[in-house]
Amino acid sequence: MKGMRAFLRRYGKNRAALGAAAVLALVVLLAIVGPLLYAIDPFDMVGLPYATPFGEFPLGTDVSGRDILAGILNGARISLLIGVTAALTATTIGVALGALAGYYGGLIDDLLMRTTEFFLTIPSFVFALVLVAIFSPTVASVTAAIAVVSWPSMARLVRGEFIAQRGRTYVQACRALGMPDWEIILRQILPNALPPVIVVGSLTVATAILTESGLSFLGLSDPNVVTWGYMVGVARTALFAAPWMISIPGLAILITVLAINLVGEGLNDAFNPSLRGR
Amino acid sequence: MLRITPKALLALALAWATLSPGLGHAAEVAKGGTLTYSFTPEPTALSTIATTAVPTAIASTKIFESLLTYAGPALDPKPGLAESWSISPDQLSYTFKLRPGVKWQDGQPFTSADVKFSIEKIVKPMHARGNIYFKHLVAVEAPDALTAVFKLDKTVPFFLKAFQPTEAPMFPEHILGKTDLATFRQSDFMRQPIGTGPFMLKEWKKGSYIILERNPNYWKPGHPYLDRIVMRVIPDDNAKVAALENGEIDLAPMNTIAGATLQLLAKRKDLVISHEGSEGLGPVMGLLVNLREKPLSELKVREAISLGLDRKKIASIIFYGQGEPANNPIVHANPVYYDKSLAPYEFDPAKANKLLDEAGYPRGADKTRFKIRLAGLPYGSAYDRLAEYVKLALGNVGIEVTLVNQDMAGWLKQVYTDWDYDLANAFLHDYSDPSIVFEQEFTTAAIKKGGTFNNNMGYRNPKLDEILEQASGESDVTKRQKLYFEAERILHHDMPEIFLLDQYYTNVWNKRVHGLITNGISMYSSWDSVWVEK
Amino acid sequence: MTSAALLSFLVRRLIQLLPVVLAIAVLNFVLVHLAPGDVAQLLAGQSGQASAEFVQQLRHDFGLDRPLYVQFLLYIGRLLTFDLGYSYVQQAPVLGLILDRLPATLLLMVSSIALAIAFGILLGVTAARRYGTLVDNVISVAALVAYATPVFWLGLVLIVLFSVDLGWLPPDGMTDTSRSASGFAYALDVLRHLILPAVSLALFYVAVYTRLMRSSMLEILGREFITAARAKGLAERTIAWLHAAPNAILPVITIAGVMFGNMLGGSILVETVFGWPGLGRLIFDALLQRDLNLLLGILFVSSFVVVVANLLVDLAYGLLDPRIVHK
Repeated sequence: MKGMRAFLRRYGKNRAALGAAAVLALVVLLAIVGPLLYAIDPFDMVGLPYATPFGEFPLGTDVSGRDILAGILNGARISLLIGVTAALTATTIGVALGALAGYYGGLIDDLLMRTTEFFLTIPSFVFALVLVAIFSPTVASVTAAIAVVSWPSMARLVRGEFIAQRGRTYVQACRALGMPDWEIILRQILPNALPPVIVVGSLTVATAILTESGLSFLGLSDPNVVTWGYMVGVARTALFAAPWMISIPGLAILITVLAINLVGEGLNDAFNPSLRGR
Repeated sequence: MLRITPKALLALALAWATLSPGLGHAAEVAKGGTLTYSFTPEPTALSTIATTAVPTAIASTKIFESLLTYAGPALDPKPGLAESWSISPDQLSYTFKLRPGVKWQDGQPFTSADVKFSIEKIVKPMHARGNIYFKHLVAVEAPDALTAVFKLDKTVPFFLKAFQPTEAPMFPEHILGKTDLATFRQSDFMRQPIGTGPFMLKEWKKGSYIILERNPNYWKPGHPYLDRIVMRVIPDDNAKVAALENGEIDLAPMNTIAGATLQLLAKRKDLVISHEGSEGLGPVMGLLVNLREKPLSELKVREAISLGLDRKKIASIIFYGQGEPANNPIVHANPVYYDKSLAPYEFDPAKANKLLDEAGYPRGADKTRFKIRLAGLPYGSAYDRLAEYVKLALGNVGIEVTLVNQDMAGWLKQVYTDWDYDLANAFLHDYSDPSIVFEQEFTTAAIKKGGTFNNNMGYRNPKLDEILEQASGESDVTKRQKLYFEAERILHHDMPEIFLLDQYYTNVWNKRVHGLITNGISMYSSWDSVWVEK
Repeated sequence: MTSAALLSFLVRRLIQLLPVVLAIAVLNFVLVHLAPGDVAQLLAGQSGQASAEFVQQLRHDFGLDRPLYVQFLLYIGRLLTFDLGYSYVQQAPVLGLILDRLPATLLLMVSSIALAIAFGILLGVTAARRYGTLVDNVISVAALVAYATPVFWLGLVLIVLFSVDLGWLPPDGMTDTSRSASGFAYALDVLRHLILPAVSLALFYVAVYTRLMRSSMLEILGREFITAARAKGLAERTIAWLHAAPNAILPVITIAGVMFGNMLGGSILVETVFGWPGLGRLIFDALLQRDLNLLLGILFVSSFVVVVANLLVDLAYGLLDPRIVHK
């Protein structure tokens, strides 16, 4: 607990990271309660198309006269849901494979790392695009596709950590005590390897949100939900008639991703005080 | 936006009949010059044998011709490569006298051997609609070089409509006669076409432009007026608008500019925005209903769905006025076969709720009566907005709609091969004759897995089958009209498809272009009398 | 490194890469055949009504009615002879279609990488030299923002600013087809069209390189030989650019290979936004149209390009730092 408090204090010293955490908390809060407080169906054609912001509708209406604020609030849910779920899934896969490869080495390592390298060779956005198009876009398929393309770098990272740790005395001691491998992996090494996993995992959330928005922009999103990328795609059809319309959902993506990245960096600095500022 | 009333149409038809072959003659014609148009996507081939998709249909009809040309929205047959024609009393034999002196663009003479070859070897077996127009063709005979006789085994009332340049183009036998037609669709001829038309391919730079140049040996003296037609590839809507505004392109045909963007041009005095000239295509958009399972198999439920949808809103907001509410598979603009006495469908959610209650689908605890899926048409943003609207509007009457997002291939498979859908959004063309849409899509015989745009609804109505059978052999226009009115009434009542919108094909052109709109397939015509002001 | 060592290194890497390339080919084949629907029905559907027989006839013409394993063996057989097959949707050989589009994509990607590396190094070194100052902070914040900006949105914003509002640059396409320019005028025309897409695609990578370069520089600047150089009284500018930067560049180069594949994804978005006639857009169209041969072809070629790019990076790395090869 003392370590935790010291960690938080270190994190708190980084004002940018602190601010970002506040912004992120606000986005999460809006995603959770926003659609309840501002209970307008984002698909409902509530007014005339192309209404400008700060008029009858807080953020105006889109090409079909739908409330943009309602879309932003509902979109926040989907973006965060997909980003976090995909990142968690990718992290789980990456940690599992990386831990096995790093701990056992040898043939298992070779096999797993060849597979990882193979996945790293395939351009990830293209791969995600193909997967989503094939399995037709739903929230689940988009999440799964993003997870599938995001795990390899995590696997590499964790493998490196495990290789560094496996020769240490405490691991050898555990082995000598006859501790089963899974316990050594999960209880002994993993906690030590966790800080970089958390940092990279949080950055994966940001990348996942960006990937999701790109797919949505191309029309590959679940048609039953509003996403920010989808909103940019819709606004694009009126780019010349209402150029302001793209700005709102785009800024929502930018701010959220920026906040997550800053939080990730803050975590990194707090975990590694010596590297501060690098 | 110009709104055409049936009366106005009739007047127009009369005007066309007298002014034929084009409005160009009314003002003083300027010869020479270039017409530049843009359509997205770029054609993949320059023959409708490879694909009858719109871009190919527009470009290839300047190069390839058929035996006839057409005038007016009702497509009245006029001489083309055939100077005249006669029909035997039993209507099983059509004799065409070919125009003497017509040459292929490589200089060889065009003869009846080409007609026989084109129809028997290429059009009937290989054209996507070859088996519709020429199903009852037994043989084409060529008694002499300038006579072609089409022998049928059953009367086909719309047979003279078949000779459109998209549907029955003529191909040079002296070039293709010896080639392997099994790979014709993949052959170089698709990119290096040789026809008899007023324009010849000069250069095709993929991804950039196609240049068609005046055929100096064209059979119609003094025609074509234009020196050149250029098709420019401009994928982006906004860029297309900019190009129209600054005069870089003269024409954006057939909805290539989406309704949303079209609004930007509405104020321009130098541009014409019009949906005239596509009456022969007649697309009607609606929701196909899979009738195999409850609750959609119940008429009351379908009526309720129809009552729950505001067609005016669909036309004005979603399609930006590029269409009008539909109530049957024939478009209002069809001068002969649209039944004007047919009542428009109402929009009345309260009544819809009542009908659904009566049908035995009360609202559950979550306000929902039942759930269905909608396979929206993957044709771009307007159709996406439509699917979203249907979901919303039917939600208001207690029907929860789940949208399925798919690309076209997946959509076709699900809707036409697997029949794994509840509602599917589609638009259906009646092309040049009502029999085509009726027989291909609403008869029992058209229930067949794996085709496209056939009766995937599983709709069976013996009475309708009988009427359509009668109509298909009826050549008297008045009697035929009566039969199709009857058929329309049946579909209007049964609702195997929830008809939503007559869709316009909107063309935008610069006022310096004249003579574009000549008939119901204006963009698929040869443009030999189109001219541009200098 | 001797040329013999270089050769053996190359051969070893190629042998390692062969199974990767083959596995990619297999994965691609499996994936695209999982996709529902096929090109035969799609092409038939373009024409409106078509009978099931007509669809079947097309399927037969395209060889899609053969057993999957036969199609697979034919595909692999063709790949081994670098025959990418025929696109039934585009009505043209796949290789030709790819070669038509490849220059546009390469132009876009290479310009973007060049921009990214040039500005990344410049900004990264500057920030590191001014560590902790306002300049450093501004650069770092800008890099963070750029790093978080969706590329497709950036493209749209640039269009609004530079095409709609200012009217300086064209929003779409690669050339101005109304004027068929040639020679220098043509190059200038392409350049005008290239600026916005290249900047859109590059910005994210400028951010990546700036951050990498900055931290790499900070580390190097702390090393002994820099201290020694300072002790010799060399100018800070000279130390930074001539002594530190060349050493700091190594990690930047490593990542360039990976970035190349990554950038292909970005180029799909950028090409969509700007109507740039490149491979990225072709991938997307081929995917939607079930143009399997074309899709397989592009995926194969792009993976191949990525693999080769990685190989070149390894090589460059080997040349810059001979220890890597022998490790």
